[in-house]
Amino acid sequence: MTWAKIALQNMLRRKLRTFATMMGVAVAVAALFSLLAFQRGYQNGMRDELDRLGAHVLVVPKGCPYDSASMALHGASWPCYLKSAYLEQVRTTRGVSVAAPIFMNALYESNGTQQVYLGINETIQAVKPGWKLEGSLPTKTGEILLGATAAKNLHLQIGQEFNLPAIPGERGKVCGVLASTQGAEDAFLYMPLSDAQRLFKRPAQLTHILVRLQDPNALENVVEALRGCEAGMDMNIVPLTHLFQTIQGLVNSTRLLLGCIALIALIVAGAGVSNTVLMAVTERTREIGVMRSVGASTSDIFRLIWLETVQICLVGGVLGVLTALIGAQHLEEWLRNRLPFSPSGALIHPEAGIMLLCLLGAAVLGSMAGLLPAWRASRLSPVEAIRAAL
Amino acid sequence: MVVAMYAKQNEGVHERVESKVLVSAKGLTKTYRRGTEEVRALDGVSFDLQQGEFTAIVGQSGAGKTTLLHLLGCMDTPTSGEIIIGGHSTKGLSDRALTQLRREQVGFVFQHFGLLPTLTVMENLLLPTLFSKREAKARANELLEQVGLTQRRNHHPNQLSGGEMQRVAIARALINRPQILLADEPTGNLDSVNGEAILQLFHQLHREGLTIVVVTHNPILADATQRQLVLRDGQLVP
Ligand SMILES: Nc1ncnc2c1ncn2[C@@H]1O[C@H](COP(=O)(O)OP(=O)(O)OP(=O)(O)O)[C@@H](O)[C@H]1O
Ligand SMILES: [Mg+2]
Repeated sequence: MTWAKIALQNMLRRKLRTFATMMGVAVAVAALFSLLAFQRGYQNGMRDELDRLGAHVLVVPKGCPYDSASMALHGASWPCYLKSAYLEQVRTTRGVSVAAPIFMNALYESNGTQQVYLGINETIQAVKPGWKLEGSLPTKTGEILLGATAAKNLHLQIGQEFNLPAIPGERGKVCGVLASTQGAEDAFLYMPLSDAQRLFKRPAQLTHILVRLQDPNALENVVEALRGCEAGMDMNIVPLTHLFQTIQGLVNSTRLLLGCIALIALIVAGAGVSNTVLMAVTERTREIGVMRSVGASTSDIFRLIWLETVQICLVGGVLGVLTALIGAQHLEEWLRNRLPFSPSGALIHPEAGIMLLCLLGAAVLGSMAGLLPAWRASRLSPVEAIRAAL
Repeated sequence: MVVAMYAKQNEGVHERVESKVLVSAKGLTKTYRRGTEEVRALDGVSFDLQQGEFTAIVGQSGAGKTTLLHLLGCMDTPTSGEIIIGGHSTKGLSDRALTQLRREQVGFVFQHFGLLPTLTVMENLLLPTLFSKREAKARANELLEQVGLTQRRNHHPNQLSGGEMQRVAIARALINRPQILLADEPTGNLDSVNGEAILQLFHQLHREGLTIVVVTHNPILADATQRQLVLRDGQLVP
């Protein structure tokens, strides 16, 4: 027989009441856990997304929607265009190491599937250091480089000829296949820039330019220079690291709000636990008197009641973490549909560390919530307690 | 402690060969406040308890019997007067020291048995050792044997009869080998058959040398003791 066992059995005496109290803790801990897991997931996702894009600065046509970065990442048909001639100006701006021109278009097949085509040239490799390429880049007309998913979905291998999906009457030949980067670009089809301009009837036009800097720390200066160049009037210069920081900041401020709500939920749950255990102490006053009569000290009684509170909170915490783990999938979908920008990786990233942190939080909550009832119980005078009516 | 206690049991008369005072009450007074009114539950009670003595405290309801028993067991402190246990005054002792005295010197038995419903018979029996941090498995088995409940060791209190519960409670009171057993109306909730069994148990413990004080309304139990202290309105009737 141990202290923990006595506390546990006491906890189980009013199962429904204990369970209801635990659920309060569970909900609060689940909220906290989801929040932390989301923060981690979102941060990781954003970082990976930036790495995948490979560019420090995105140059898009003036008048483009504000979410041009998302368009560049996830694929879309663009409503406005840049003149190819601007590329030279961008490329020669001080501090620019590579400027890769892109012509992007998204088409829909008759069954509604979206196909994203990108016109590229060999400079793309310099902004995509993460690309693992089997075969070669598309340089000759009619050559197509496939993203990993695209190759899988279309059942194509290097050297095969096929009808370009969503472009009736056009054929292409697979020149290479990319290894998966876990991003939306896995589903893209890449062709020579000139092919894209011809196919989509936009000769000498681009949708965007990916720019890599010689020194990423000089971002401010380069952005300044790009805005100041002759074509600057017709271009929108989007410093990506800043953009991502802005989005992150937006998400962070929401997170702060949610964090406060989770904290309040925790405090309310703690008060609930306190109240439940206080009630239990009142009900068990005579038992406490009996324990005092057989030699329990004030600190023994304190310890027993306190232990019971911590146990309730810990079990509640475990239930909360489990709930959050089970609900992560749904929350992920729900969030994805509502966030201004969601990276393609998992949004909810539950880690063992976060789990431990949440359980620790529950234990701390229990320790605090247990102070009042434990103090009350230990302060009962033995005679008063033993004389108490049941 | 060299004390020889040889009680003659032939004529039901207990005669002491050599004796020693175990507990001494000196001018015990206890007042309670009830609103503005002062209730004098005990009023200048003095007596000595010899080691190995079997004493009954009797008196009408409200006479102060329970109050006196609680003072003897260090569950409470007197408003004035003092209690001397084994030659040491308990006056001014801290709650901690009183707890230790209770733990080591005193065994309590209540009318309502006071068993914890979540614990088995064995666990209830071992409860005091949780606080005294002693190892008493063997002692517990011995006591269970003595009260005839070995078969019931893993039962819960709600599976026992009143008499059985009280026997568990008595065994529990003895687990730490106390000097004195204090029982507050131990047969109050029992029928006469079970009450008789408890009485026999007390006799047996008394023969083994235990000092016993029992508060009772039960004339059979009271008559079976060596000595009766009669309380009336908080005072001892000479
Ligand atoms: N906590 C208290 N507050 C006020 N008065 C009290 C308190 N405890 C006991 N009393 C009073 O003290 C007196 C003695 O009480 P006590 O319980 O010692 O009597 P008793 O002889 O044990 O009675 P019974 O035979 O009914 O158990 C009673 O008048 C009782 O009402
Ligand atoms: Mg009484």
